[in-house]
Amino acid sequence: MPEVKTLSEGIFEITKGKKYLATKNLAPGMTVYGEKLLSIEGSEYRTWDPRRSKLGAMVLKKFRIPLGQDSKVLYLGAASGTTVSHVSDIVSGGAVYAVEFSPRSMRDLISLVARRRNLHPILADAGKPNIYAHLVEPVDVVFQDVAQPNQAEIAARNAARYLKSDGYLLLAIKARSIDTAANPKQVFRDEIKKLEEAFEPKFEILTARDLNPYHEDHLGVLAKLKE
Amino acid sequence: MKLEAWFGTLDLGEDGKVLASDPFSKNVRELALRSLSLREPGKGIPPAGFDLRSAALACGFAGSSEEYDSLLHEVTLDAAKLQISGALTPDQRIILAVEALDDVNETANVLSERLSEWYGGYFPESGLSGKALARFVAKYGSRKNVAPEDPLYAKASNSMGAELEAFDEELLKGFATSVCSLYDRRKQIEAYIESSMENIAPNLSLLAGPMLGARLISIAGSLEKLAAFPSSTIQVIGANKALFKHLRSRAPSPKHGIIFSHPLINTSPWWQRGKIARAVAAKLSLAARTDLYSGEKVPSLAEKLDAKVQQIRLMNPEPPRKKPESGLKPKGKKKRRQ
Ligand SMILES: C[S@@+](CC[C@H](N)C(=O)[O-])C[C@H]1O[C@@H](n2cnc3c(N)ncnc32)[C@H](O)[C@@H]1O
Repeated sequence: MPEVKTLSEGIFEITKGKKYLATKNLAPGMTVYGEKLLSIEGSEYRTWDPRRSKLGAMVLKKFRIPLGQDSKVLYLGAASGTTVSHVSDIVSGGAVYAVEFSPRSMRDLISLVARRRNLHPILADAGKPNIYAHLVEPVDVVFQDVAQPNQAEIAARNAARYLKSDGYLLLAIKARSIDTAANPKQVFRDEIKKLEEAFEPKFEILTARDLNPYHEDHLGVLAKLKE
Repeated sequence: MKLEAWFGTLDLGEDGKVLASDPFSKNVRELALRSLSLREPGKGIPPAGFDLRSAALACGFAGSSEEYDSLLHEVTLDAAKLQISGALTPDQRIILAVEALDDVNETANVLSERLSEWYGGYFPESGLSGKALARFVAKYGSRKNVAPEDPLYAKASNSMGAELEAFDEELLKGFATSVCSLYDRRKQIEAYIESSMENIAPNLSLLAGPMLGARLISIAGSLEKLAAFPSSTIQVIGANKALFKHLRSRAPSPKHGIIFSHPLINTSPWWQRGKIARAVAAKLSLAARTDLYSGEKVPSLAEKLDAKVQQIRLMNPEPPRKKPESGLKPKGKKKRRQ
């Protein structure tokens, strides 16, 4: 008999032969990136590969994931939607604003979005958050995975406009996208420092852990706005 | 204060309360087009933290939170689709063609080698390869069918190759026909790139040649990005691997971008190449900007480049005494002395 254990709201660990990370499929019957569908007691779950998703890795690295059924999320760097699809599963009664600036990735994202009414795709540069000011409401979580040198600044700009005062920032930092030659540890220290004091608003770091062994040279960060 | 939201225009009081609102009809396409027109934020941008959802519910645009999400979902989806269909600009089409050309070339090479290996068992003396071999096999099949007026007739008659039986012949002919059509496809794509380049980047085409010009656009990502690069970057475009190594290990910075395939550079003696490459890169950069902003062909660009190159040649007739920089030598294996 498969066993379903809740790790965080909407996020499950399923034991069926082996252990899987999973979310409940909001678009039953549809897979997004070749993940498995598991039917258990009338519910369909999609397995979630932590090696293909930094948020998935954060779950397994025991980050507190501040997402619930009704959460509103601003997701920056949606790519083709691997992780976005799981966030859409988790916040089934909420909303996900999925910002991506590559038209090629957006094409893939659009095909997965079709049956998820809580998902709002936005083709735009996250570095210019005013572009989507007429679309995006205040959110509980800003999730960012843009792999860009100025990511701390992008996070701050978006948080300034869209993050509720009691909201959270979840961030994945890729050392190589900041500086290809420098030591990753140093890059992480610098980036944390930027988040803490370089821009407005400033953040208070709640958790920062590397995402090994799921993602090499990546740091996961959970932060909130500094009082 | 007037404020523009995706679902309507709102009038906001001093205290942030919505005084009046003018919601639009729920026509998805209209809302999507309007949403796209609001991307150039000017006046009317909602203040930070403004709750669009509550305002939409309050003004009666949406009857429930679910309806709000449903409509917003359809509108953002439609807007993204509209943007994407418009995103395939002429330079993006050229980039797709360049990528297709690379695939066709690679496939043609692999299949040609296969054909060569395969047909070699039946007619090893043919001396043909690539396109010529594919045409030959597609035309004759067995070497017994070679026409007497064909220059290969004698060799075909005296070949030590095995007999090609009808069953195998059919297979090989079909295979060769496929290879031929790949070569035809290559020609077609090249012609497409040449004429498209003439249309969207006549100056770059003139100075770099259409294929090199198209490759520069392809690696840069768009004509606009290429035009924004400083000429020092244009000089090393395509040297990515070397550039990465340079950043990681402080190896000498690469000087061989793809512009080194430019005839003005690759036919020059080594000691002039760096200087000529710089001159070419500067003019290509100018050409790309001219193409982006005016689109008019300016023949004097080419004359100026030629003059500049002549001048470099005259001023540097002899190789310098010191050893050439390692980056310039074709086989720069040895480390530079400190
Ligand atoms: C590492 S991928 C994200 C992967 C995704 N989060 C997932 O787990 O499925 C980074 C993405 O961010 C996008 N991106 C980078 N800079 C951006 C920007 N300024 N605005 C919007 N998207 C950006 C890239 O196009 C790319 O698709």
